[in-house]
Amino acid sequence: MSAITEVRVRPRFSRGRLAMLGFVVPALAIYLLMVIVPSLQTVQLSLTDWDGISDDYAYVGIQNYEDIVASGRFWNAVRNTLVLGLGSALIINVISLVVALMLDKLNHAQGFFRTAVYLPALVSAFIMATIWKYLLNFNFGSVNTVLRDMGLPEWARDWLGDSSIVIWVILFITCFTLGGNTTLIYLANLQSVPQELIEAARIDGASGAKVFWNVTWPMIAGAVTVNMTLAMIAGWVIFDQVLVLTSGGPGFVSETMAFFIYKVGFGEYRAGFGSAAAVVLFIVVIVSTVAANAYMRKREIQA
Amino acid sequence: MTETMTQVTMKIEPERKPSGLARIPRPPRQRREKKKWSVGEIVVMVVLGILVLIVASPVIYALLNSFRSYAEITKDPMGLPTSFAFDNYVALFQQTDFLEAVLNTLIITVGTVVMLIIIVPMAAYGIERVGGRTSRFLYVLFIAGLMIPFQVRMIPLVKGFDDVGLYSTLLSVILVHLGGAASFGILLYCSFIKGIPIEVEEAAHVDGAGRLRTFWLIVFPMLLPVTSAFVIIQALGLWNDFFIPLVFLDSSSAGTINVAINRMVGLLTSQWQLIYTGAILAIIPSVAIFAAFQRYFIKGMSVGAVKG
Repeated sequence: MSAITEVRVRPRFSRGRLAMLGFVVPALAIYLLMVIVPSLQTVQLSLTDWDGISDDYAYVGIQNYEDIVASGRFWNAVRNTLVLGLGSALIINVISLVVALMLDKLNHAQGFFRTAVYLPALVSAFIMATIWKYLLNFNFGSVNTVLRDMGLPEWARDWLGDSSIVIWVILFITCFTLGGNTTLIYLANLQSVPQELIEAARIDGASGAKVFWNVTWPMIAGAVTVNMTLAMIAGWVIFDQVLVLTSGGPGFVSETMAFFIYKVGFGEYRAGFGSAAAVVLFIVVIVSTVAANAYMRKREIQA
Repeated sequence: MTETMTQVTMKIEPERKPSGLARIPRPPRQRREKKKWSVGEIVVMVVLGILVLIVASPVIYALLNSFRSYAEITKDPMGLPTSFAFDNYVALFQQTDFLEAVLNTLIITVGTVVMLIIIVPMAAYGIERVGGRTSRFLYVLFIAGLMIPFQVRMIPLVKGFDDVGLYSTLLSVILVHLGGAASFGILLYCSFIKGIPIEVEEAAHVDGAGRLRTFWLIVFPMLLPVTSAFVIIQALGLWNDFFIPLVFLDSSSAGTINVAINRMVGLLTSQWQLIYTGAILAIIPSVAIFAAFQRYFIKGMSVGAVKG
């Protein structure tokens, strides 16, 4: 292979090349067996009618994909995933950036507040959702109790059983987690913005808002790209909150794609159909990540 | 500049491992002079304080209610505990398999982290040093995993583990986690290893050290800053994970803490106090891990972020 010709260029290490490849083997073997091979098998299974238990299955061509496209339940899950994924990515990024800007302004006790801001992010999405499930209980939950005590009993409602609001409730609860790392990344980038630039803009008479949009914002464009991409990748696979809070209900109203795959594949014995949905999820993740990155990188250069 | 510094430290005191710590490429932070307190700063602090309280309020609520009985909770959901007795904490361990779940979570977290530390830095080093197109190909292959969500590989993995008789074992959960974490680890370590001068290794090599010895005695200690960040990020993620153990551990296992709590939500419908107690017990170790390694953690995040 052409790689071998490269070795000649660096004769000092050519002898060790095999040894270096040996270093990669353990991780590579596990990675291939746990990630690449099963992903390819998913593509294979998506072309079958496998139920998830039996030993044999038949190939049905693209039948599963046709069923998916025709399934209103799946499109609803896609819509929910978009609402939760994009919504939480945007909200978390805006809040995190504002918090990072505030932290950056602190001249005293910055370390203390940085830790305090990060602490709630240590709570897992699962635990946060579980606690909220009880807070939102119709009869004995704190939210409804407080509303009734405040003389607003008509505001008390079945937060997780009302299909018109349930997805927004899940979005709200999703935003309670994931914010800590985002804030830290913004803060680190804000602190690497050269102070001279900001002072120069100030001397030229720019207001605080102008300094932010014309100096700080372009300088942290890279962090925005990283954070939005990370938040979106996390958003496409939101699962814990849905399983804990509603199990996809009422009916199928609050299912996300990740939950749909889990439910169909394991709960409804339609592993072939679930695999096809997984392939669609994979395509969505790839396309949105690449597209978002391309768009934001372009913006970075212009800025 | 960092590169020359490394060489110098390595030549003078090659055996002093923590010297690696001093070389963290810090973000250029403006050293602030002592400044006076301003009104704006106080306002910012108050706003931040309120924000933290809002986000933490569910946890504080769970903490308070872990000291109350079910009757108290349902009678007055917003009431405060009358005493701070640990009855619920004792009951949780006595009435459920919670202890076993804690042990399972611990085994999965520690097992995965130890395995990651053994295989990932080595692999990243191999990828960086093998050179040429092989290097590029392996790197891209691993990085591609960042875009493969767990759901995509979930169904065949369950089938595969079932076929080899490993389904519902802690080993299956560990292996699945290893595959998922490898990509991020390679990304993190490769970007750091690029900055390590090859001359140091060559010198060790000339001195007769084998490849493995060179790696573990010379290179690995220099990777300490990344390793600490990687360990903390992974340990927190593993401890908090819910989906993977949910899929791979059936009722024959006590599950992990989160899986056990999820089962309790279904089974103990009139024991909310135990759910709150379990939630608090699940959070305590994450806070402890963070508190113990905070310094490395924030540094690690900053390194990754500024480079990213």
